[in-house]
Amino acid sequence: MDKLDCRILQALQNDFPLSPKPYEILAHKLQVPFEQLWDRVQQLKAEGVIRRIGVSLDSRKLGFASTLAAVSIEPGLVERAAKIIGRFPEVTHSYLRKDNFNIWFTLIAADEEKIGHILEQIRSALSLESSQVLNLPMKRLFKLNARFNVSS
Amino acid sequence: MEFSDVERKMLAVLQDGLPDTLRPYEDAAERIGIETDELLTILQRWKQQGRLRRIGAIVNHFKVGLGAGAMVVWQAQSDRSEEVGKILAGFEEVSHAYERDISENWLYNIYTMVHGATAEDVQNTVERMSKACGVTEYRLLVTERELKKVAPKYIKESLK
Repeated sequence: MDKLDCRILQALQNDFPLSPKPYEILAHKLQVPFEQLWDRVQQLKAEGVIRRIGVSLDSRKLGFASTLAAVSIEPGLVERAAKIIGRFPEVTHSYLRKDNFNIWFTLIAADEEKIGHILEQIRSALSLESSQVLNLPMKRLFKLNARFNVSS
Repeated sequence: MEFSDVERKMLAVLQDGLPDTLRPYEDAAERIGIETDELLTILQRWKQQGRLRRIGAIVNHFKVGLGAGAMVVWQAQSDRSEEVGKILAGFEEVSHAYERDISENWLYNIYTMVHGATAEDVQNTVERMSKACGVTEYRLLVTERELKKVAPKYIKESLK
């Protein structure tokens, strides 16, 4: 990635223009010929640097419930557990972490009852005790900034 | 939750991101079945209402030299949780900072996502964070692997 790629990534991560011709506006802002900008964007997508142009919504303000959950899984059963957990469309992110509680995942569903129900299904499918499942809903947001400083 | 038909269709189309095209709003509007202007107007309104946080590229941070990351959880005294959360959120290496409910077998109440180029960078940052907020009961949960990452599905039926 060169300097131009970094500038493009930085600009694309910040507010993507709400306009019929967003890429033209970005090209103008960055003072780059439009064709060059568009080529680079396509390339960054092809390389997997840009996953997608995301529309990040506040699930709570939209009326949905969400939580962070974790389960404690024996090392040998991680793959199977990851598959079972990942099968739920309500599970949006899931990570393997080094801890006694080793699979962590976020859930978004219609309401808290539905979340409780899904966690119970996961618990019983994985034959876990209740103490091996954590449900940690958010109380307060201090920061949400999944934008990264990109340098070449 | 109460959504109009148009809003439901918007969620179904936009939950996976904007179309990967030169005129993404125009193409999204066509799928939803409304005019581009109407779509942009509703998105502006959602932004004002706080329903829409941001439209922007989702970058794979492993590919931009930030391969190391950890979730760091902190046990702040409940009367200090706001203060501690704000101090930790102020670090530029921190992308997310939340207060969460505790559980009887998990007493950590402040959650931060810390990023860096190497595990050592992350470790150093966490030590600075601990000094800054005065909380020494913390735990670093190193990310070993991403198991799943998809955009939230608000609406099950896809219109695509």
